[in-house]
Amino acid sequence: MDSDKTKKINRRAFLKGAASTAIVGTAAVTTGCKGKGLLGSSEVFALEFQEYFKKHYCLMTPAERQETVSRLEKLARIKQDITIEIDTTGPGQDVLYGYAFNVTRCEGYMECVKACVKENNLDRRSNTQYIRIFEMEHGQMSPDQGDGKYFHMVPREGHFYMGVQCFQCENPPCVKACPTKATWKEPDGIVVVDYDWCIGCRYCMAACPYWGRRFNWNQPEIPKQEIATQQHYLGNRQRVRGMMEKCTFCIQRSRKGKLTACVEACPTGARVFGNLLDPDSEIRFVLENKKVYRLKEDLGTDPKFWYFID
Amino acid sequence: MKNFFVYSIRFCVIPGLLLFLSVLTVFSNQEGVTARYKDASQKLDINGQVETIIPVPKQIVKATMDYQGGPFFIEARKSEIKRFKCSSCHNNKTVSIQNAAAISHADIKMVHGDTAAPLACNTCHSQEDRDSLVTSKGSKIDLDHVYDMCGQCHFRQKKDWIGGAHGKRVTYWAGQRVVKNCTSCHNPHSPRFDKRWPATYSVPFK
Repeated sequence: MDSDKTKKINRRAFLKGAASTAIVGTAAVTTGCKGKGLLGSSEVFALEFQEYFKKHYCLMTPAERQETVSRLEKLARIKQDITIEIDTTGPGQDVLYGYAFNVTRCEGYMECVKACVKENNLDRRSNTQYIRIFEMEHGQMSPDQGDGKYFHMVPREGHFYMGVQCFQCENPPCVKACPTKATWKEPDGIVVVDYDWCIGCRYCMAACPYWGRRFNWNQPEIPKQEIATQQHYLGNRQRVRGMMEKCTFCIQRSRKGKLTACVEACPTGARVFGNLLDPDSEIRFVLENKKVYRLKEDLGTDPKFWYFID
Repeated sequence: MKNFFVYSIRFCVIPGLLLFLSVLTVFSNQEGVTARYKDASQKLDINGQVETIIPVPKQIVKATMDYQGGPFFIEARKSEIKRFKCSSCHNNKTVSIQNAAAISHADIKMVHGDTAAPLACNTCHSQEDRDSLVTSKGSKIDLDHVYDMCGQCHFRQKKDWIGGAHGKRVTYWAGQRVVKNCTSCHNPHSPRFDKRWPATYSVPFK
């Protein structure tokens, strides 16, 4: 039985190797016919071809993850002339990320939005933003009554500010809606997207009650010098047209023990981020000592994002 | 008989119902992520997962008190003040510094405390020892530990700051806790944040 299995795998691996060699060979021949100047692009073609047939991120072995990462890094170097580092750090033991937002402290400066756009390589052309800050009058309860497109001197009298982003629900409706399992919840509570597995159907966008997901209607454009080079496979690596993306609590930062870009940029300290399973963490202090609430709690999505007041 | 009914409704049924509802409310929220974090009382062992000795951009000092997880560090203040030590000018010798008038503290605008009677310089700064602060009870406070000074009035904020609901951590959520000092964010002479233009804007959704 065992020998049979190994035989099968060997045969499969052989065929795969043979196929890719054949393709590279064909590509080399074709480009050879076209002329010397295009010889460099045969490597790009081979890399992109291999990228096209890679597996779902969850099904990849660590070695396969390393291969795709090195291919992506190579492609970025050849096509865009930038050196990037894509990381595949997994979730930590006994870590469950939680977030709290102080509606009393937020003054609407939008430094978080600016930092988020830069950190997560968001499209500058369509002005995609993961975070939205709503300016609300005192007494208003829900951000759909607030003004999400204000541009004037802040803070304005008689108003408070409420930031909305992906809440990383513990019971995420977007994950249930996805027909290709391209989005899932990681063990540390972050809902991520495998950008190469997404078919762009936008069911998740319709399923999210918080408007937490963003769609790439056009090929994202980022000035070359502004591309964040420390990337994560499930986080801020560069996306292409026609796929979903979302806030990942800056997975490339948080999994290395760093605060998310929005928390670090906040000039008023309205944002608190930490590990929910650690009784000493700041987020646990907020949950135990402050008046907290969650948005649309009655829907049962169980978000890991709390609002609190001083 | 009627009185008995009224009595029983007023003193038995209604309180009983209220008790039942309150118990229901307390336990209805104990599922999902709430139950998960409430069950977790084990301290996180971050060793080996992320680096525990973390580089921070500024100088740090150990705080005089502990937070719920033990001792923690704060951003130093003295290294941030450009012309520290204060006593290099504020001494009993004659002033021998160039541009002494230009670098005097005439530019400081005091917007702190009651508008009718704002705080004076010597509310916080010690007149005897110019390199430190002095509380209303007369005890000296090092400029690095300015939170003890602010906490005299803003004790609620200080309590929140020690726990983590006010202020913010520096760069890392894991590892050794390093937080910003009061004066890292607030100008002690006018602590309220200024009105200004937002850093960016959002395009309309629809």
